[in-house]
Amino acid sequence: MGSKREGDRVNTLTLKARLADRERQKFFITFLGGKLLGLAIAFYAIISLGPWIVGTVVHAANVPRADDIQTQVTGAINGLNTAWTLTAAFLVFFMQAGFMMLEAGFARTREVVNVLQECIVDTCLCAILFWAFGFAFMFGAGNGIIGHQYFFLNGAEQTYTFNGTFDTGVAFMAFFLFQFAFADTCSTITSGAMVGRTGFKGDLLYSIGVSGFIYPILGHWVWGPGGWLQTARNGVRIWDFAGSTVVHTMGGMIALAGAIVLGPRLGRKFKRDGGGLPPGHDLTIAAIGGVILWFGWYGFNPGSTLSAFDAAGIGRVATNTTLAAAAGGLSALMVIYFRVKKWDMGITINGFLGGLVAITAPCWFVNAFGAVVIGLVGGIVVVYGIDFIEWLRIDDPIGAVAVHGIAGIWGTWSVGLFATGQFGGVDGWFWGGGPKQFIAQVWGNAVVGGAAFSIALALMYGVKMTGTLRVSEEGELEGLDIHEHGSPAYHPEAAYTGQTS
Amino acid sequence: MVELITAIIKPHMLDTVKEALIANGVTGLTATEVKGFGRQKGHSENFRGAEYKIDFTPKLKIEVAVPAEIVDRIVNIIADAARTDKIGDGKIWSFPLDRLIRVRTGEMGTDAL
Repeated sequence: MGSKREGDRVNTLTLKARLADRERQKFFITFLGGKLLGLAIAFYAIISLGPWIVGTVVHAANVPRADDIQTQVTGAINGLNTAWTLTAAFLVFFMQAGFMMLEAGFARTREVVNVLQECIVDTCLCAILFWAFGFAFMFGAGNGIIGHQYFFLNGAEQTYTFNGTFDTGVAFMAFFLFQFAFADTCSTITSGAMVGRTGFKGDLLYSIGVSGFIYPILGHWVWGPGGWLQTARNGVRIWDFAGSTVVHTMGGMIALAGAIVLGPRLGRKFKRDGGGLPPGHDLTIAAIGGVILWFGWYGFNPGSTLSAFDAAGIGRVATNTTLAAAAGGLSALMVIYFRVKKWDMGITINGFLGGLVAITAPCWFVNAFGAVVIGLVGGIVVVYGIDFIEWLRIDDPIGAVAVHGIAGIWGTWSVGLFATGQFGGVDGWFWGGGPKQFIAQVWGNAVVGGAAFSIALALMYGVKMTGTLRVSEEGELEGLDIHEHGSPAYHPEAAYTGQTS
Repeated sequence: MVELITAIIKPHMLDTVKEALIANGVTGLTATEVKGFGRQKGHSENFRGAEYKIDFTPKLKIEVAVPAEIVDRIVNIIADAARTDKIGDGKIWSFPLDRLIRVRTGEMGTDAL
């Protein structure tokens, strides 16, 4: 009892009495002094070490502008460029394996065959469509909206030259293969948000729309020869080095449209209705698939130089890609750790993928410090993006909308913030370029994202009207694997009795 | 007296049945993934173009021990909750339990429920 009363007395000392206490004054002064000293050391460290960490500004006038970097138009095949672009194309193609594993692992057992089959057939379909007219729409000469050259690869030249403006030195067919691998990636992203309830006929129909029309035509605007978004407004144009906008924002927006038109899976309760995302069935496969995607990104980003002679560029892009992925994985992990107090793996995978998506546009234009910040924000954007999609009551089983769509938007914007001006003369806001480039990035991204979303919405409603977009209720409850493909993914032999009809 | 109710249901009806049982005072149940067939027989599956007949269909078995006087009511609740009016909705059966013991306390019979 006595000690309790003692405690009460101390606590009820008046403020005045406490201020007058010599001991407390001493403590306060020491405390304040220590804090100030610490702050001074921190400021000194930032000022003196800053240039080492973030790099020094090179004046924009001293560096080659984007036009100077473009090589002369010669039309001769450059063996090294071709070998490099093909290597990158193979790596990007291998991302399909990553997508298949990630999506299958995050899906439920009953829809694994469907997810895998969707990716395989998308790839086959995309190759044929891109050969027939996709490549012509995207990379053929034409007008600002659409290209119309090289249908069925007719009239292919020695090298691909962007209608005579910029010779890549890459053998034409190697360039085609590289671009096909990109188109395939975009169409695969779409299926991620539509897992578990899309009928296979519907999937074929919308895939033709995505790989054959939406991706090539909208891609032409940013990457094709003479695309209208390449026209400078106020002296700047959108820069999307490897596709944060063209591949990822577009893929994410089409996925969003698909998930909205389809509606959620049967029995799916959302977080604000007291439910949540059904857990993936195989995290081993999902994790390895995620890392394979990271590996494939070394073709996606560094390969987009299209030139083996941009050695400094390739090295920078590869390192930036790595740093952004690492930062994205860590930031997503920390956000989720402070929320649920567990070191959640699924969100870490989505986080590093968000970092990778974000660095895809700026990878060539930023320095290593920029890449870390871009990836860091990318990882955080993914976590809150997934929350937001869940809050909207949109069922996205893989997180494709947040990882590709929302992180893709951030990545495209980040060029306008973090481009140092050293590389290609693109000046970001944080490096003294003013808001011009940032505005161009936001505008270009909004145009492509908005167009992709609205066209995809129309496409998905169109497919829905044919009655093939969503499987029957019975089929969905039984599981797409048996209903659509006639075979479960795991242990089909357990119940196999050997009869063939 | 305690009786054990065993119900074979469609796998996706588990949540509905569970909610219905909880709402009616049942405090626990055991669920097992099983394969079997009844009048429904099996279905066919495909592997690389060849069609196979699968006799055993995946089902879910739930087991609930309840006091004998409410068995009829609980059985009806399960049947109503698991019914989809389509072939393959399953079966329910029950039988008296000779013994029921809670391991931790050694309680017996209805006390152990």
